[in-house]
Amino acid sequence: MKMKQFIQKIFGSKSQKPPSGDIPAKPSRKMQTMMEMLSNTREEELTCDEVFALLDQFTELAAQGEDVAHLMPLVQHHLDMCDDCRDEYKVLERIVANVT
Amino acid sequence: MDKRTNEEWIADLGAGGDRQALALEDLRAIILRGLPYAIAGRLDPKSPETEALTEEVAQETLLNVLKYLDTFEGRSQFTTWAHKIAVRAALTELRRRRWSEVPLPDMTMDDDMDASYRELPDHQANPEEQVSRAEMMKRVNRIIMEELTDKQRKAMMSIVDGFPLEEAARRLGTNRNALYKMMHDARLRLKKRLENEGLTPQEVLSVFEQAGK
Repeated sequence: MKMKQFIQKIFGSKSQKPPSGDIPAKPSRKMQTMMEMLSNTREEELTCDEVFALLDQFTELAAQGEDVAHLMPLVQHHLDMCDDCRDEYKVLERIVANVT
Repeated sequence: MDKRTNEEWIADLGAGGDRQALALEDLRAIILRGLPYAIAGRLDPKSPETEALTEEVAQETLLNVLKYLDTFEGRSQFTTWAHKIAVRAALTELRRRRWSEVPLPDMTMDDDMDASYRELPDHQANPEEQVSRAEMMKRVNRIIMEELTDKQRKAMMSIVDGFPLEEAARRLGTNRNALYKMMHDARLRLKKRLENEGLTPQEVLSVFEQAGK
């Protein structure tokens, strides 16, 4: 793949730009996503496995109204960064609220 | 009987024989009550596919509960722990089915550093802004090319494209945990390199936002 193709893949191509000059130019979604990811990156982060080990406890504490972002900030941060783990948390949250 | 204490669950499931069989039957019923929340919005709840998936996941969950019973530390209700295992199994399978036909973005690079690259025309940006954007684009891309491996670039592209980490990991011959670690390393490298070049992610974005102001 050529450099130009790579750049267009990462940051959007001509076809992804607004068709009219009347629409304000914005950074592409991919560019935005990547820079937000970098901005939120911390030296110390938990992995998916580490979060999985704590997810049941985190979910129950959240369901009890505890300030989990304060009590377990690294878990909260990981859930903010990882769509897969966040999806699983959201489902478990509903199960804890409705089933257990 | 599904109103066991954590200790009773552990004892019954570890007992073997009829006592274990009864506990497994009770736990299966509990898991089946939770699984619709994992499937909701992802599969038609009344389809044969859902029925088969539910059976498959319930079975897999029971096996994993027995396998990892010793690792339960009692920091939650036992049933929440079991639901967690079921949710992971269900969403993993649902992601695999949903994304199985979608190719990973192609990020195979060659050494042709295309010097003719220019930022695409933006009719709102003045020439000076266009040059700034083009230069920033090239600069960020150069950093990505220099700091990340092919695998990291491919993974990064997949994630910003919305690919589930789990599925990207499977395609790249690794696992989700290892890929998260790899991406964390990649993000740290890029962030530090930007900092070394006197840039923050916010400053990079601001160059592109100027044209819209």
